[in-house]
Amino acid sequence: MPAVSAPPPLRFPSRDFFEALREAMRAERERFSRLGFFDTTFGVRISSDDGGEPAEFALRFEVFDCVGVESLAGVETDFVVEGPFAAWREMLDTIHALGAADTAHSLNTLTHFGEQLRVRYDDPDGHDKLYRFAESIQEFFDLSARLDFAYPDGSRPPAARAERQRSAR
Amino acid sequence: MAYYAEKNFFEDQQLIELVTNILSGNLTLEWYTAEGGRVRARPSDPRRGLTYEDCNLGPYGYDAIPEFVRNRYSMAARGSVLVSKLPDLGYTINRRSDVWSDNVVALYEEAKARRWAPAVDVPWAELTAGDSVREAAMAQLCTFLEEVALVAMEMPSKWVFSINQEFLELKSFLCAQMIDEARHVEAWRKRALTSGHGLGRASASAEQALKELLSAETYPEASLGTNLLLGSFVLAMCRAIAALAETRADRLLATLAMQDVARSVAYGVGHMRYHLAHQPGKAVALAEYLDRTEHVVLGIAGSPEFLEPVVILAAGSVDRDRLAAGSRFARRWYASALEEYFERAAAVGLPRRERSRLPRLDV
Amino acid sequence: MSYLSTTDFTEDQPFVDRFERMLRGDLDLSWLDAPRERVTCRPENARRGLTFRDLDVGSYGFTDMPELIRENRSFAPRGAAMPEGLPDLQAEVNRKSEVWAYNVEGYYEEAMTRQWNATTDIPWAELQSVELPEDIGKAYAQLLTFLTEVEMIATDVPAKWMGRLNADFFEVKNFIATQAMDEARHAEIFRKRALSTGWGLMRASAQNEFNLKFLRDADSFAEASLALHLQAEGMVLTLFRFSEYISPTEGDKKLFRLVMQDEARHVGYGMQHLKWVLDHFPERREAIHHHLDEAENFVFGGGYATEVLEPFIILSGKGLKKENIAEGVRITNAFQLKQADEYFERLAKCGLPERRERSRLWKMIDLRKQTMAA
Repeated sequence: MPAVSAPPPLRFPSRDFFEALREAMRAERERFSRLGFFDTTFGVRISSDDGGEPAEFALRFEVFDCVGVESLAGVETDFVVEGPFAAWREMLDTIHALGAADTAHSLNTLTHFGEQLRVRYDDPDGHDKLYRFAESIQEFFDLSARLDFAYPDGSRPPAARAERQRSAR
Repeated sequence: MAYYAEKNFFEDQQLIELVTNILSGNLTLEWYTAEGGRVRARPSDPRRGLTYEDCNLGPYGYDAIPEFVRNRYSMAARGSVLVSKLPDLGYTINRRSDVWSDNVVALYEEAKARRWAPAVDVPWAELTAGDSVREAAMAQLCTFLEEVALVAMEMPSKWVFSINQEFLELKSFLCAQMIDEARHVEAWRKRALTSGHGLGRASASAEQALKELLSAETYPEASLGTNLLLGSFVLAMCRAIAALAETRADRLLATLAMQDVARSVAYGVGHMRYHLAHQPGKAVALAEYLDRTEHVVLGIAGSPEFLEPVVILAAGSVDRDRLAAGSRFARRWYASALEEYFERAAAVGLPRRERSRLPRLDV
Repeated sequence: MSYLSTTDFTEDQPFVDRFERMLRGDLDLSWLDAPRERVTCRPENARRGLTFRDLDVGSYGFTDMPELIRENRSFAPRGAAMPEGLPDLQAEVNRKSEVWAYNVEGYYEEAMTRQWNATTDIPWAELQSVELPEDIGKAYAQLLTFLTEVEMIATDVPAKWMGRLNADFFEVKNFIATQAMDEARHAEIFRKRALSTGWGLMRASAQNEFNLKFLRDADSFAEASLALHLQAEGMVLTLFRFSEYISPTEGDKKLFRLVMQDEARHVGYGMQHLKWVLDHFPERREAIHHHLDEAENFVFGGGYATEVLEPFIILSGKGLKKENIAEGVRITNAFQLKQADEYFERLAKCGLPERRERSRLWKMIDLRKQTMAA
């Protein structure tokens, strides 16, 4: 009987990665319902380390769900979170290792003075949605702890801490 | 008591006969033909439930509220069939653009959906009390924020009584603001009292400033001062605490509080937009109000009871070198809070960048 | 001109200088030396989380709060160090027994954890599928019109008083804030339900509006609470219980169960407040009777509100036919007697058993009972 190979890991950044987050969010309906209505469209822009084109996606949220992942071009957004790949990677690595962002790597901390990640916006009303839905946005990104993904160079985020402890025993 | 019934009903034979008659099965059915307009509200999106937006129908809708509410002074539900002799309940705010905002209906729905309960939604057990200066700073900061929240809770309560009942959705949002701020009074107090240090010191400068805000003469001034001006800085304070948090409990507490404050800020922005779009002449008076009152945020954000703990939290200790780093954080915090306030003010048509007397910092 | 801070901070050079010093890391830290009681509050019951009762410790707690608040006239959180220069907020109510209630902290915590959402917690889609017959539909729409009309009085009145209470009574203020939200939600749910029946809103109720004006214009918080929390909301609570019983659909039953929970909390506060007043401020007793004399006059005058009584009869009897009306009258009679009984029971439980003897409302109810028995 031929061996069934495991599906290849998702890549970050990619549309598939955010689609997988969307699916994970759908599975956590109860958790996101408790956090409340979540109505915003925002962008993420991941700049390439080698000066190439950034990866850009628009994430559309309605009620308790992520209802769309699309290319950022031409989409009207409330705000865009942007930053170098290394900053995004640091955030995702922490989430993967800990199961959720630690206080040093929450989206609020990383965007606070625009040092690691920056928030772009045209209208302060749109920008304020980053604050109005802060916990929902954080928990959306925290769902990446469950994803099997790899970075463009093939490397993976660190294994979850509990898993590492298990394998060390 | 100040208001008495028009008669002693216990001696009203006509009333006794009426009730006896009805309870003998002879109904008047006077109300049976009254119809305010037949509609059927339906959820436009079942996931969202039945929202006030779904009920924005014909004569019942908030779109139908006129700019001047001249002939409605009772609590009769908007769109119901009015009868003679409805009393005047004494509303003094009867102009729609004095209170309304295009986003207020959605913000009310959002407030309900995003509610939380500090007692159970913050993992208090994760917090450990200690003698550290960091915990002392946190206790002081939370004492200060409790003080601010007490005022922020009173602002809507002070006005809701005077606002015409026709503005139901707006009044409901003010109620949501009250419960939000009650939650903050509770949450900051609880956080201070888990620190092992007890409460810190109240702030004379902040309270002088807050009293000036609270005693605004008109609702538009009160909303501008509390929701947009003060709200911008309190929002930034919550952001800073979340960013400086060392535990999930502190991050969560500050993030959840931030969400609530951001709704008030969004209403403040929306309200001023609506107000000035309908009463452009008020821009002069409101700019003068800010000229006169904007200084209060310096009394609040510049009070040692707030700023020194922030420096310490950012520094992590009171070592001289660390304090220098902490003070850099505080400078940047103030500069960015001020910048976001200026952005919001400009967005509503009250440019302050040139005119404001608030200090600017090089960061 | 409104109150102006004692200083314009941007022109207060010492203040600005200190601000700049702090931003260079030059801290004074005098707040660290402020005398304070050092406590560490922890949840007594982990499942309940950290409650106000867990914070009832020493000078921070409510148990040791004095009857008269003489020192704090500002927004200084109770127990915090109070520096020179705090403003006087001119609170009008500084006596604990004018506002306090046994277990107010418990009612507040309960309110916070039992908030619900009229938009999402009712099966609106299911309600859409039920077509109510005209008599039931109209009667129900009329009852809902009345309920949406009166609910927010219980927002406006406590809110009016919130700012007049000394800040040391923050547990009461916080409870008032939860009540304001509860009542906004009630006005919302009754309005939404009326607009979803297909009949829309019906007739306003002048007679009940007079009562609302009476509630708005109370001279003191204690009077306002007595008439609002205990008398008016107590009677509405019984109304909700019967409305649940006569509801035309399961969804409507759920609606009334949810509002009932909130209303019971408000009545609970009203009862425990009256009890506290009678225990700690007994000279109020006569004033309470005077206020109830007029409050009950309004209640009795409510008989003119045919737009409330008649829909109730139709809903109870499930129709307009003669036999339906007869059954409706039977249930409505039982409801009204129950409403009055519960009201007087509550008063007696709070320490006002003599109310029955003194009340003209009780005499009228008694007379009606005798007539019915005959």
